[in-house]
Formats: sequence, C-alpha cells, structure tokens
Amino acid sequence: MAKVLIPTPLRQYAGNQKEVEVAGSTVGEILTTLTSDFADLRKHLYTDEGKLRSFVNVYLNDDDVRYLDKDKTVAASSDTLSIVPSIAGGSR
Amino acid sequence: MIRIEEAAWQVMLDHAYKAYPRECCGILLGVEQGDGERVVTSSFPCRNAYEGDQSDRFQIDPRDQVRANLKSRSEEIDILGFFHSHPDCDAYFSATDLKNSWPWYSNVVLSIRHGEIAGAAAFRANEDQSHSEAEELLYPSALPVLAADPAEEAPSVESPA
Repeated sequence: MAKVLIPTPLRQYAGNQKEVEVAGSTVGEILTTLTSDFADLRKHLYTDEGKLRSFVNVYLNDDDVRYLDKDKTVAASSDTLSIVPSIAGGSR
Repeated sequence: MIRIEEAAWQVMLDHAYKAYPRECCGILLGVEQGDGERVVTSSFPCRNAYEGDQSDRFQIDPRDQVRANLKSRSEEIDILGFFHSHPDCDAYFSATDLKNSWPWYSNVVLSIRHGEIAGAAAFRANEDQSHSEAEELLYPSALPVLAADPAEEAPSVESPA
C-alpha cells in the first residue's frame, strides 16, 4: 500500500492522521480509495466536476503527477504520495 | 501567537535580502504547543516559482514543499506556515495573499524597504479564505511588529495564478 501524506489543514478530514496507507496501483485508484474512506476530503481535493482542484498539487515522490500520467500514473507500494497545498500571493 | 526562534528568523531575513527587490517566499517549521502557541524552530527558503514580475508576486515552488515536508517528518516537527516579503510595501496581508492562502497556516509577511527589513506581521486565513486575522508575532529583533489593517493598504484583488 502506498503512503499518502496529508497536509495539516486537511488532517481533520482524515481522522487527524498525518499519513494514511492506501491500496491502489495508480494515483487515481489511491485517491479514489482515500476519498472513499474519508468522504469529507473529497470536496477539498476535487471540484464538483471531479477534477483535482487547482490549488492542490499531488506529488508522487518528487514528481508532480500532472506532468506524469495524471490519475493513470502507476504507483508502487513503496511510493509516497504527497498532497501539497498551492501557496502564492503578493503585495498587489 | 507565533514565535520565531533566532536561527529561523535569520534565514528568513537573509532570504528577503537576497531576493530584494523581488518577493521571497519560504516555509515555517516547528511545533504547535498545547496552549496553541506556535514555535518556529527552522525556516526553509523556497524558490519563487511565479512566472511574471516577482516584485509583487510569489508562488512557492511545490517541489520545495515536498522537501520541507520530508525534513519536517525526519525531525518530527510540522509545517506551521509560510513567509514571504513585500518589497517597498508594508507587512499587510493583501487580497492576493488571502485568496492564494490556505486556512490553519500562519502567514508571516516581511516588509523590506530600500533593501532593509522594516517590519513584519503574521496573519491567518479563515476556512474559506474570505477573511484574515492578525496573529501575534514574536521574533528576535527590536523591530516593531506591524499589524497593518489589510483593508488599509492592500490594493485591489487580482486573479490568482
């Protein structure tokens, strides 16, 4: 099972866990299982149309899955999936 | 309240100096104590990944967040928030900052004027990022803590990157 790292603001929707072991052979399968186990997480990760929200990045180890094979990216049980909040801003 | 220890503060200042007149950005690592006080024990300077004029915009490179996350896990500390600089502006939380932030995290803004640190303030966004509140900020410096009213100086909202 792959390890999914949960950012602090979302831990309240994942049983207050920092990381969760989730079964699945692709990034899509893992995230589907994760958001089935923790339904409240889904609206924070996905739009109503089922697309990953723009302010949420998902990294498989060191790589952004948007630049791999997105949901179809193959994940091994030794892999770590990080949910990374997109942080930006500026004075204007 | 968020308290920044000396080594972490120095890294933040150095990063702001080096980036000036562009905005710098980075990650605050530490622990949240039982009474809710946050103690920043180290800070992690990040690349500004904003593709455009960085004098008034920043975007934290998410690859740096992944690295900071690994560091936090190995040291059993947490990512408590983020910092960035406002070159030649006060330390307010702009509408752009608010719209591109996340709840829970502390956001420390450094004012740097003419290449010198002129103040700092901390803010937290509410759950839907419609509002922010100043958070008491303690850091090892004689500089005044500016708790600027975001509505006072923040220019109009711009669409997020």
